[in-house]
Parts: sequence; C-alpha cells; structure tokens
Amino acid sequence: MNGEIILPYLIIVPLFGAFSMPIVSLAGRKAREAWAVLVSGITFIVGSAIFYAVYENGPILYTLGAKNPFGQGAGFPIRIVWEVDLLSALMVLMVTFVAFLAVLYSIGYMRHDTGLDKYYTLVIILELGMLGIAITGDLFNFYVFLEIMSIASYALVAFRNDTWEGIEAGIKYMFVGSVASSFVLLGIALLYGQYGTLTMGYLAIKLAQNPTVVAKVALAFFIAGLLFKSGASPVHMWLADAHPAAPSSISAMLSGLVIKIGGVYALARILFSIYGASVSMKTVGWIIIIFACITLIIGNAMAVIQEDMKRLLAYSSVGQIGYILLGLGIGLAGYGTKAGEIAIAGAVYHTFNHALMKALLFLIAGAVIHELGTRNLNELSGLAKTMPKTTFAFLIGAAAIIGMPPLNGFASKWLIYESSATFNQVLATIAIIGTAFCTAAYVRVLYTFFGRPSEKVMKAKDPEASMLWPVVILALAIIIMGLFPWQISDKIMIPVARTLENQLGYVATLMGGA
Amino acid sequence: MDVVSNVVYPVAGLLGLYAFVSLASLVWEGIDRKLVARMQRRIGPPILQPVYDFLKLASKETIIPNTANYMFRAAPVLSLATAIALLAYTPMGFTPILASKGDVIVFIYLLTLISFFKMLGSISSGNPYAKIGAAREVALMVSREPAMMLAIFTIMWRIGKLGVDKPFSMGTFYQHNIWEIGTPMSFVGALILLYVFAVWLASEIEAGFFNIPEAEEEIAEGTLVEYSGRYLALLKLTKAIKAFIAASLVVAIFFPWGISGYFGLTGLSANIADLLFHTLKVFAVLFVVQSVFRAVTGRLKITQAVDFLWKNVFLASLIGSLLIAMEVIM
Repeated sequence: MNGEIILPYLIIVPLFGAFSMPIVSLAGRKAREAWAVLVSGITFIVGSAIFYAVYENGPILYTLGAKNPFGQGAGFPIRIVWEVDLLSALMVLMVTFVAFLAVLYSIGYMRHDTGLDKYYTLVIILELGMLGIAITGDLFNFYVFLEIMSIASYALVAFRNDTWEGIEAGIKYMFVGSVASSFVLLGIALLYGQYGTLTMGYLAIKLAQNPTVVAKVALAFFIAGLLFKSGASPVHMWLADAHPAAPSSISAMLSGLVIKIGGVYALARILFSIYGASVSMKTVGWIIIIFACITLIIGNAMAVIQEDMKRLLAYSSVGQIGYILLGLGIGLAGYGTKAGEIAIAGAVYHTFNHALMKALLFLIAGAVIHELGTRNLNELSGLAKTMPKTTFAFLIGAAAIIGMPPLNGFASKWLIYESSATFNQVLATIAIIGTAFCTAAYVRVLYTFFGRPSEKVMKAKDPEASMLWPVVILALAIIIMGLFPWQISDKIMIPVARTLENQLGYVATLMGGA
Repeated sequence: MDVVSNVVYPVAGLLGLYAFVSLASLVWEGIDRKLVARMQRRIGPPILQPVYDFLKLASKETIIPNTANYMFRAAPVLSLATAIALLAYTPMGFTPILASKGDVIVFIYLLTLISFFKMLGSISSGNPYAKIGAAREVALMVSREPAMMLAIFTIMWRIGKLGVDKPFSMGTFYQHNIWEIGTPMSFVGALILLYVFAVWLASEIEAGFFNIPEAEEEIAEGTLVEYSGRYLALLKLTKAIKAFIAASLVVAIFFPWGISGYFGLTGLSANIADLLFHTLKVFAVLFVVQSVFRAVTGRLKITQAVDFLWKNVFLASLIGSLLIAMEVIM
C-alpha cells in the first residue's frame, strides 16, 4: 500500500464530510447520523491504513501541489509539506479511532439536543484539525490546523448554549485559548522573520546553522502557548471548566485527544524536530519537568476533592498530562541516554493509553448523566445495582488509569517511573505521590458506585446500544492492550521514541537527499 | 516439550500447591482455635473444625441482599482467584513457580488486591456495617503496607548486592539471606525488621490488636456482615490461604533454610520435604503472631491502630532499613 496516495484522504474525507453535512442534513436526522458515522468510519480506515503504511515503509513525505517540495532551481522547500513519521501516524490512529467512537456514541447521547447538523459538522472539523496537526510538516499549516481544532472545540464546549455553564466555560476557554494561540502565532512570526522559512525540517537546518536569541524567544512563546493548550498547571483552569461543561462525547475527545495533539504532540514535535540541535535540551527539558511536576501534583490532588464526576475526570486528565510531560521532559533532559529514550516511549505510550482510558471514562460519565441527569457523585451512590455494565467498564477504566498490572496503564506508567527513577529519584517520588492521589480519587468514586443504591439511582438502566458499544470497544481495547504491554512497547513505542529523537532523520525525509 | 515445561508443569504445580495450602491453612486454623482454647482453659473444637465449617457453609443456602450489586457475588470469587494466583509467586521452601525478575511487586500487588476485592464486595452489599468495616480495612491497609514495602525492598536490594541471578525476585531468599550479611549493624537491623514483619503479619491477618475491620462484637462482623453460604465459605478459605501466604513471606525472609540438603534429596522429593518443613515454620510463626497475640491482647481502636502502624512500626521499619543499608551506602 502506498502511503503517499492515501495520505490526502485523511484530510479530504473529513473535510468533504463536514462541508457536505449541512446538505446531507436536509435529508433528515437518520441521514445526518449515518453520514457522520460513515465519514468518521472511513477516516478511521484511512488512518489505520496510514499507520500501517508508515509502520511498514517508514515516513511519508507529501508535497501539496508538486512532486517534491523544492521549486525550480531552489535548493530549499518552498511548498507546504506533510511529513508523517511513526509518531504522527500513531497520533493519527489514536485520533481517528477515538473520534469514530465518539461520533458513534453521539447518536444516542445527543438525541435530545437540537442543532445537530452543526454539532456533527463541528465534531468532524475538530477531528480534521487534529489530524492536520499530526501530519503537517509546515509551521504555519500547523498553526492553521491548531486554530481549526481550537475554534471547533470552543464552539463544542459551548454547544449547549441554553445552560449557563456551557457559555461560561466556552467563554473562558475561548479567551484563554485565543491568547495561547496568539502566542504560538507570535512565535511563528518571529521565526519567519528571522529565518525566512516555515517548513519545519528546513527551519531545523537554518536554526542549527544560526541559533539566535529570536529563536529562543520564539521557543518560549511556543512552550507557553502549547502548555496552555495541553492544560498543564498553572494554566489548567480552563480545562477544569471546559471538560465538564461540554457534552460528554466532546469531553472524551477534548480530554483524550485535543490536549494531547494540540499540546503535547505539538510540543514534542517543535522541541525535538525543529529545535533539537539548536538549543540546550537539558535546560528546556528541566523547564518542562518543573511544569510536569506541578501539573502532576495539582491535577491529581484536585481530583481527590471533587464532587462533580466530570470535573474529577477533568482534573485527573490534568494529572495524567503531568505524567506525559514528565516523560517528555526527561526525554529532553536525558537526551541520548537510555533513560531518555524509555521516558519518551513511556510518554508516547501513555498518551495513547490515556486517550483510550479517558475517552472511556468520559463516555461512561456521559451515560450516567444521560440516565440520571446528575454529575454529583454524592447522588450516584449504588449505581452498580442498576447500571452494571457501565460501572464495570468504569472499574476497568479506573483500574487502568491508576495503572493496575493486567491493564494497559501499567506498562506506560512503569516506563515513566522507571526512567524517572534512573534519571532523578526525586521525580520518581513525585510521580508516585501523584499516583497515590489518583488512586484515592478513583477509589472514592468506586466506593460511591458500589455502595448502597440511593432512591434516585433505582430508576436508571444501562444505556442503549449506540452508547454502550463504544464503551465496550474501548474497555476491550484497554484489556487487550494490557495483555501485550512489552510487545507493544518494543515493537511500536520504542521505535516511535527513536524516530522522535532522530532529528536528522526528520530533516533527511524532507530534503530527500537533495 | 517446551509446552510441557512452560505450561503443564507450572499449572500442575500450582494446582498441587493450591490443594496443599488450602488444606494446610484450614488445619492451621483448627490448631489455632484449639491452642487459644487451651490457653483459656477450654477444650476447644476438633482440629479439623474449619474444614467442617467450610463444608457446612458451602452446602447452606446463599442469601443475597436486595441492595447488593453484581460485585457482591463476584468479589469472593475474584479474591480467591487472586489468592490462588498469588500462590504461584509465594516462596514455599523453594523458588516460586513463576519467579522472575522484579516479581516482588506482583506479590505485594496481588496481596493487596485480595483485600481490595474483599472490600469491594463488602461495600457492594449496601450494608452500612459492611461499609464501616470496609473503611476500616482501607485505613488499616494504607497504614500497614508502607512499612512492609520499605522493609522488603531494602532487604531485597541488600540481598541483591550479594549477587543473585534475578534481583528483586521472591526466589532470591533461597540464594542468600539476610543473616548472611553478618555485620552487627545489619543483625540489629534484621531483628528490628523481624519485629516490623511480625506486626505487619498480625495486621494482615487481623489478629489481636488489628481485629478491626471484622470486629465481631462491635460492628457485627463488619466486612463479612452480609455474606452467607458459599460466598462466606470462599471468603473464609481466602482468608486462611492469605494468612498462610503472608506468613510464608515472613518465613522466607527470615528463616529460609531448607532441610532437603541434609538428607541429600533432589528434585521433586526435595521440594516436598522443603514444603513440609516450610509449613512447620509457617505454623510456628503463626503460633506466635496469631494464636498468642490474639489470646493475650484485645482490639485497638482504628485510630490507635493507624497511629501505631505509622508512628511505631513504620518508624521501626525506617530505622531497620537504614541500619541494613548503612554499610552499603557509606
């Protein structure tokens, strides 16, 4: 299978699907839902095919508008390129998978809402933006996709505009997110002014040849903007409002995908592939590590005291982002060492795992809200009596996120613990403390769910098939991935870590030996 | 051939161990009850009483409260399954069946998972007494495990320094043991850790001071209040097996010597001889920690027990670990 031929369809399919949605909606509700599922399903197939192609044949370089990125007589890339290496391909797989399940879930979950043609359009646009971020090799193209993703998520957070909290969270998210985006744009403008190119790989060359103060200022803007987007402390406050207020299918995508693609992935790409050779990895790594430690503790500790189920999950997302950033930071600070490589592999692995787990947990939260109309944990006592399948899936998800051995969260967290313990014991201690808080938070929820059934809970039942199946599929994915942790780690995650560390390879793919 | 040595033998070994340990642990319970009865000038039940109890419970009707959810029925099975799985990692006079590098974490994990499942089952009954029992169980669990973990990791790390082929495996105790280090400081440290492990074992099997989550007279059997029939039988069996396993850990760390060497036995017969000798040692340890301790002391309050475990036992564990680690660090 030739990856370069199918790569454009990763953008074409959702773009066409989103733009045709208003027309398809004229045919009625069923057609609209079928169209949304079809479009995201095809995108998932394309995404899997691309992952397979990249895994088998190495990175794909795709130039828009010509055979290669170089103009006539020009020795440098002048066109927009898409560059898909193993990390991008893994992100593509993750995004298309979770987005497909979220769309499937929306059929049942969004049944009572109005304006669904806009909803499905926005969801697919959101997916499109994330896919674009993952595959692009051009810095401005990256910004455009980042904004597509962000604006779609602002609109989706505030989708239920008849509730006060939807509007409030939407406004908060929008203001904060716009500031963060403008930081990123400012960084790009500075780099463009200094180096005159926007292609990531070529920019890496120019940066290495002539590292300037401007580049460092731009880097500071990038880190600041992207930490905002990933919900790292101390700038996580928008997340704790936005994720609970959004419809649950959207929270699953926001928490599972948006904060990772728009935050962590972009950060990793910019730090490793663009700045890899031109700044002190150690310094940048320690900056990320410091934020990671704050995020770990604050996110997980705040999760313990929440009474709102979705807010608890949102804070837990912040905490888990802390682990991913910790892995990333150690990967930078320990660049070239064994610990560094394991840390990146752990971070990438945890990104993927957490996307599955948090999507699962948010979908379950959605099912509970759908059945009972409340998110207050104090009212949800004894839910296991009337929603057995849902609570069992929650048990799986919670155990996975804590990192219990037969599930997928164990291996990824283990890699992060192991690398942080070899890198610096204090960091390992902080990571363990974070997990202790995380365990407390989820055990508390389980304690509620399996307790004595309250009056309110007795009316509930397991959700319908279209809401149950995504939950079941995610739970199965978590269990199956948990059975082969080290195989996945050796065959996929370690190679991904090596690709990310190999900046020369990234540049060479772009320049194609030219 | 590979299948036979990698799958069939371990499974057969595990089944054999399971059969043996269930019997031995129930018999020990009978002996324990007999001994405590004699200490109180009573005749007490026959030695095989727990076996009769088990059979009787298993044959009785099982009552499920109507506030219970599916975990109420799943938890006893899951906790027994965990206990059986744990047998494959428990040192019983010889290297455990599934011993591998780092399996001490699996051991600790499965041992806590048994309590966790039991707790999950009891809160799933919907009974407030059970909920109180479960809350106490968690408090006790969180307080007792750090002291044990610190101690066991220190010991394994120190033994690893003596040169073993699988560091941090439960099999290392049979290659080197803690007394071999030989310096006075480590000897004192080991004695302190012996104290730590004895208290940990008492709290793990909830004897004496630590009979808190189930407190019969006070909160009507706590965690087990709603269980009856088959499920109660399973939980009682799990508890007995868990006591045997936890005591096995203490025996393996502090008294790992086997007898097969003296008789020149090899192969299976050596394993059986060591297993029997190990069982004797387990009984001896349990005699001190369970029978005597529960005969001569009463129950603490949960706050007192938590205080005791953190302020006394954890501190002792810290001191003992430092003493043992000292000559390597300095």
